[in-house]
Amino acid sequence: MHELGIIFEVINTVEDIAKEQGLTEIASITLGVGEVSLVIPQYLRECWPAAVYKHPMFEKTELNIHVIPGEAKCSKCGTYFNIIQTEGYCPKCKSFDKEIISGKEFLIEEILAC
Amino acid sequence: MNNFKVIEVKQSIFENNDKRADLLRKEMKEKKTFLLNLMSSPGSGKTTTLTKTIAALKDEMSIGVMEADIDSDVDAATIEQTGAKVIQLHTGGMCHLDADMTRQGVNELGVEGIDFAILENIGNLVCPAEFDTGAAKNAMILSIPEGDDKPLKYPLMFSICDVLIINKIDVLPYFDFDMDKCVERAKKLNPNIKIFPISAKTGEGVEAWANWIREQVNEWKK
Repeated sequence: MHELGIIFEVINTVEDIAKEQGLTEIASITLGVGEVSLVIPQYLRECWPAAVYKHPMFEKTELNIHVIPGEAKCSKCGTYFNIIQTEGYCPKCKSFDKEIISGKEFLIEEILAC
Repeated sequence: MNNFKVIEVKQSIFENNDKRADLLRKEMKEKKTFLLNLMSSPGSGKTTTLTKTIAALKDEMSIGVMEADIDSDVDAATIEQTGAKVIQLHTGGMCHLDADMTRQGVNELGVEGIDFAILENIGNLVCPAEFDTGAAKNAMILSIPEGDDKPLKYPLMFSICDVLIINKIDVLPYFDFDMDKCVERAKKLNPNIKIFPISAKTGEGVEAWANWIREQVNEWKK
């Protein structure tokens, strides 16, 4: 259950930001999760209630997840393609050599708070 | 809702952990303790490899081991017999160690006077790769029965490791493990990776691996 450990990191980070900026209520947190980041959005959502247990600041917090597409450029022929759709192979020349342009991210994009 | 405001963060989730890991690394440098983060899948022979490594090095340096497991202390008990200082860390269900947990382990072990500390991470090729523990170097063990395709399946792990130990080479004749292919796949992900084929059971190749540690420990103390 590696998403749980990751969610704890999210909570720690947001708690630090809340302390810094004097925030007391967090209405929502938006995470940016890359398609090839090894983090599965559904699991993040499922373990969220367990992770916020005993963290009163987050009891009512909504977790939003923005999926960032896994895009790559083929190193052989230069075609741009989605990594998930083609399982990593270039749709044009079938090469596996590529430069990943996006989709490895895992970040806190924004929080709605007061 | 009127008082609520949007705060743009754009911060990588791993940034906090990375900072804490850098701090721990700096402190370990000051204390002259070379910390190695050892990772692998379950059953790859981590504990046996450690036992042999300790046997090869214990007369020339003082060694400490942190055994991390979700539960149980069977590994710590095995390592204790080698004479190295050992503690058991329980992660209570967590699949990896982060910099904070490593720091707790380092405090509990007490690294004063320890030249070489080993963190035996949870047996898993996914999550430990994502969390910097604060170790000086990362090593992983891949064993022959697991197959030569593992670099393709767990690319991140192979990308972040300084060393790849290929263990159980004594059983190579019984498996369809292509050593050249495995090396090629690992090097493609990580051109600088050092590869040591060993058999922890027979002791083959262990000396070359122990030599690498000698070099690293000496370098770290400078």
